[in-house]
Amino acid sequence: MRSLHIEGDSVLHRLPAGVKLATLAVISLVLFKIDIPGLLAVAALAGLVGHALLRISTAEIWHRMRPFALIVVVVALFTAVFSGTTEGLTAFFRLAALALFASLVTATTTTGDFIDVITKAAMPLERLGVLRAQDVGLSIGLVIRFVPEILSRYEIIRDAHYARGLKPRPLSIIVPLIITTLRSADEIAVAIDARGIRSQK
Amino acid sequence: MATRDLVLSALFAAIIVALGLVPPIMLGFIPVPITAQSLGVMLAGVVLGAKRGTIAVLLVLVLAAIGLPVLSGGRGGLAVFMAPTTGYLIGWVLAAFTTGYLSQLLVSHSQAGFVQTVNFFVAALFGGVIVLYVCGISYLALVTGLGFSKAFMGSLAFIPGDVLKALIAALAGRAVMVGYPLLPQRA
Repeated sequence: MRSLHIEGDSVLHRLPAGVKLATLAVISLVLFKIDIPGLLAVAALAGLVGHALLRISTAEIWHRMRPFALIVVVVALFTAVFSGTTEGLTAFFRLAALALFASLVTATTTTGDFIDVITKAAMPLERLGVLRAQDVGLSIGLVIRFVPEILSRYEIIRDAHYARGLKPRPLSIIVPLIITTLRSADEIAVAIDARGIRSQK
Repeated sequence: MATRDLVLSALFAAIIVALGLVPPIMLGFIPVPITAQSLGVMLAGVVLGAKRGTIAVLLVLVLAAIGLPVLSGGRGGLAVFMAPTTGYLIGWVLAAFTTGYLSQLLVSHSQAGFVQTVNFFVAALFGGVIVLYVCGISYLALVTGLGFSKAFMGSLAFIPGDVLKALIAALAGRAVMVGYPLLPQRA
């Protein structure tokens, strides 16, 4: 599982993650206040230029934006057909700009920086006794650690189907996958507690 | 929160991520492939209950937000939270919570197997379909300015598949309850 972060030392890379997230929030609010397609097109273009400055290929930019292209085009076409061309263009450029700016923050911020921001943001919740801020990083680490293991478990169960001449069915795959995975929870929890990972402050 | 519950939530989050990476599963009787990730959201509620299920789904969304391509089709990054379909992602959290809450409320060990399955189905249908679509359609309607009727029409095609997923989640939920019971919640 490769992160969508791109190595570099541009101005965006050097800005603190918290600042980037706050700016993104403000920009998204502003984009919804603007109703002029031309101005929104300039914003979308700026987002695109931002990507170009990261020194990644056009193919890579397209690869990043492709998951959003279809839904943005569909919504824009719907809007254009039912509310008029201007509204359709407004929707298209607004949604494209939003996705591009968000993608820029993702590309220039490391996973570790994000986890630090989340941990800091969780501190007030910790004081309220809702959660422990340190748990955020621990949980994220656990998920990343276990995805490959679950995938190989999935392959084992699927191969067991083939070995018996059965077609893999959702139910007969998912149930053993969940049970075998969750069964390891006790051992993992004991291992975490034995190392005192959660008690460290 | 006990370490075991934290681990259970994290493991289930990993299952949801993995379900987005495996190729879509074909069902025997309809020719449409089922993307298993939204099934994972219902399963989180059905298997883990409200609190742990919600945390599992939140973890998946946090992973997506910090730039890991954990959503089906390799989607991830902050852009997924700035898209017209973001309402469905927010809906995942409420869907897992509702499904989990209703599962805890309706299903008990003393019930017959069939009754348990039906109750799990009601929970998954209410949480994973009704609550999910109310969130997704409202967001689509308000944020894009499409209006509710058009947003509803655009989403209609996906509802039958999700009803089917609720059924699979119910059957799986009952089977997991027999094999490795986690409900009613010990935490």
